[in-house]
This record gives sequence, C-alpha cells and structure tokens, in this order.
Amino acid sequence: METNINTGQEQRRLPIKDGLLTAPLFPLEYVRLLGSKCPACGEVTLGTTSSCPNCAGSGLQPIPLANNGTLWTYTVIRNRPPGDFRGPEPFVPFGEGLVELPEGIRVLAPLGGNIEELAIGMKMSFEAYKLYQNSDGVQVIAFRFVPSSPANK
Amino acid sequence: MTDTFIVGVGMHKFGRFGDKPASEIGRDAVQMALADAGISWRDIEAAYLSTMYLPATSGARILRPLGATGIPICDVEAACASGGVALRQALLALQSGAHELVLVLGVEKMPRGFMDPLMLYDRWQVEMGMSTNPSYWAMRARRHMHEFGTTEKHIAKVAYKNHKNSVHNPYAMYRKEFSLDEILNSKLVCDPIRLLEICAPNEGAAAIVLATEKKARQLTSKPVQVAACVHTLARYSSDFRVPAESMSVNCVNPGPTEVTAQKAFQASSISPEEIDCFEVQDTDAFCELEIYEQLGLCPLGEAGRLIDEGVTEPSGRHPVNTSGGLICKGEPVGASHLGQIAEIVWQLRGQAESRQIPKAKVGLAHVLGAGGNCAVTILKTLQ
Repeated sequence: METNINTGQEQRRLPIKDGLLTAPLFPLEYVRLLGSKCPACGEVTLGTTSSCPNCAGSGLQPIPLANNGTLWTYTVIRNRPPGDFRGPEPFVPFGEGLVELPEGIRVLAPLGGNIEELAIGMKMSFEAYKLYQNSDGVQVIAFRFVPSSPANK
Repeated sequence: MTDTFIVGVGMHKFGRFGDKPASEIGRDAVQMALADAGISWRDIEAAYLSTMYLPATSGARILRPLGATGIPICDVEAACASGGVALRQALLALQSGAHELVLVLGVEKMPRGFMDPLMLYDRWQVEMGMSTNPSYWAMRARRHMHEFGTTEKHIAKVAYKNHKNSVHNPYAMYRKEFSLDEILNSKLVCDPIRLLEICAPNEGAAAIVLATEKKARQLTSKPVQVAACVHTLARYSSDFRVPAESMSVNCVNPGPTEVTAQKAFQASSISPEEIDCFEVQDTDAFCELEIYEQLGLCPLGEAGRLIDEGVTEPSGRHPVNTSGGLICKGEPVGASHLGQIAEIVWQLRGQAESRQIPKAKVGLAHVLGAGGNCAVTILKTLQ
C-alpha cells in the first residue's frame, strides 16, 4: 500500500496481482511489468516466481520487462467476459492479444485502441492503469497494451 | 502387458434435460452399457467417475443406488481430458491384475452459458477481462491464418462438415445442417471464431465397461481392443490454452496433441495412415484444423488444404467427427471423451447406422483442454 508522495494525499494503490508490476505505483507512467529470469536456462516468465517452469531451476531473478513490443496475435472480445469483470459499464468490445517483448516473452493482455485497426505486427506500448477502486478505497492497478503513438514507434 | 478390451458402451444423449438430475442421466448410460455387455451391476469390480462440474464423491452418489456392493468408486478430473484420464485409471487397474471387469462413467450437468471462470482462471485474469475461453482458440486461429494463409472459409468448412454429420447422430444436441453462408454470417464470438463454429457446455453421460482379455472372451465374440490410452500435460510453453498468461518466444516444444498422439501411435504400433475414423476435440472449428496437423494427417500449415480436399468427410480417407463433434454434440466435459469412445466402438462394431464408415477397423479419440491436458485413445477390432 502506498501514499502518493507527489500530491501528499492519502491515496492507496495495489497491483492487481502481487509480483506482476514494479513498485512504486506512483506515478503510473513509471510502472512496468515484472518478469522472472531463470539463471540456468535464461527463460523469462511473467511475474515474480521462485522456480522455473521450463527447467525446474531455482533462484529466479525479478526483471522489469520492456514497455514496447509487437502484437503477435489478437482477437476481439465481443461480449462481456464471464465472472467479475471490472471493465466499463456498459460493456465496450475490446481487443485481447499476445504482445511479444524483447525479453523473449509473449504476454497476454487486454488491448486498448480501436478494435478495427488491430493487426499482427503492429507496435504496442505497455500501460498501467486504475482498473477499479475496491471496497477499502484502494485503487487496483492493472495493465494493458495500447497501439504505440507515432512518437515512440 | 495384459491386453484390455471394451465389452460394453452406453450413452445418454448430450443436450439439456431440464430438472433431470445428473445421477439419473448417469445411471441411464450405465444401464445401457451393462446391458450392452450382458452383465449386471453386481459384476463390476471397480468404477471411475469422470466429471468436472459435479460435487464431491459424485461417483458414489450416482452409482451406489444401483447396489451398494462395496466396490471402490472414485472421481477423476482433468478438465476436457477427464474421460481419457478416468479410462486410463481403469485400464491400469486391469493391467495391474487388481480387477478383471471395471466401469468408467462420465457425467456432466453444466450451468448454462459460460462456465464459472474461477474454475479455470485466477481472479486477476477475470477482473481484467481475460476469461473468455473462445478468445484463446481465436488467437491461435488468427496466428495460423497469418502464418499459413488459412482462411475463415477453411474454418467454416469444418463446422459445415460437423453440422452435416450431426444430422445422423441421435445422441447429438444440435442436429441441423447449415450452409457455409449461414456459418460465415453467424455472430462473431471472438474474431475470427463465430457462433456456429464453437461448442456449448451442456449435459449428458457416457459409460464404458472394460475387461481383461480372459473376461472379454467370456462375454463377447466381438470385443474392441484398447490399443493405447495416453494422457499427458503440455510441456513448458508448448500450448497456448486456458488459463495461460504468457508464452515463450525462444522455447519451442512439441504440443500436447503431438506428444500424446505420438506416444499412442508407438504404444499401439499403429500409424495415423492406418486409422479409419477419428473423434477429436473440435471445441471450435479451427481447433479441428490444428489437430489434423498435430495428429500427422497433414504437414504443418496444410490443414486448410485437407478440409478443401474432403479427406476428413465421411466419404474421405480419414473421416473426422462422424458424430458431429463437440460443435454439435456439445461438451459435457467429463462425458466428452467417453462419448467419443462410444462412437468409435459403434463404428468398429458396424453399429453406427447411417454414420457407419465402411469396414472401419481402427479408430482414434482425442481430447484437449484447460491446463494443456490431453488424452488420446486408440481402439481396434480383433482380426
């Protein structure tokens, strides 16, 4: 739980899953996705973890993942996903895809931007954002990838 | 190793059956299988229930009312591959010498619509909106189209074939033929996968009676031999399937269907070329295309050509899903593989009526699902 040091306001944030995002969660522009690199086989997996799913090795080190990647495949979620989905009400169709990062990992993520313009190979940028505020008043921070703006393509 | 045989099969239609409880649906299939084998419940030495959505000890709850004979009954679960895993447990029991005559039952009565995502996903995935099962199928389809030029029409052709086959299957949920245009104009669920190209969760049951060779010879002159029954889990990053959250760029392992099928081919000394009929996991129509390649019916990237050439139609060299597949039967998860087994047994016995493949002698059933659980069973008639 963190307090926003920039504004001095008591504003608390949590990552949607422990070990998935870098700390601090203020400001959101500086937040990055976390991975784990296996010292034995070199594989990078999503989030912080202690054993390697590839070689069963141990001693994995957390590493921040790159902010920019390439769309490897995608689909469009046309109907409200089942269960406790925290997206906008009423539902707006959105992209979901695998974004390939230079660390050698393809990360599954919701995609921002126009669903009609999604295409394999397009440049995507990481974005941490407030998904919802929980019943304790804590902002829950999630992530998505959005089409890169011309400036950082 | 002791040879193992199927001496009885039974099915309860797959579909929706109102208030009819899972226990009755299951017992209907059991009674049919026992009658088919010409035995009574008292003869069964052990039983295995395959289910994913029924509560604890459902095997005992469903089967003990047939007679509390004291036999061991346990429940087995491995998502869409549950039936294959239960079957394998039963075969191991026969091969170990522990039993000579056992029953495997698959039963499901699933909630309508989407399955509860927390059964398969972590909460954070659900909250972020990544809990639509067909999205995984869709993303694999999109990539295959990109790499190999597979088209939406290729995918629709699989659905066309399976809907057409289903008209002849009294155990299928949907038994209506659709034109290619109707399929291609049906609602997009997850691009490029459409409503008439995916399977629905539903209700149903299938039961299989298995025996050692000695016992099988006593019971029937036409037993069907289990040539192989293999279960594996996907190796690291070899399969992008619910609830995967990432995959590796650098690590390329053979996928679960390839690995499981290869093991089954080796164990049975049967090659895909020799197989007369297939029942496979067409959770969506694209998935069936992918499976053609993974089973070795065609090289990687050529599944579109295979469906174009009609190889997997009932009149083709390798008919696939003569039952209508999951797209038309629906997928009562725990019963799914055992329903495939029943279909293959009927084909091999020449009892598949208007679905009959002439002179079918060898058949393969394949299931694949959450967590990369895969099961492949190969059945053959005795020469």
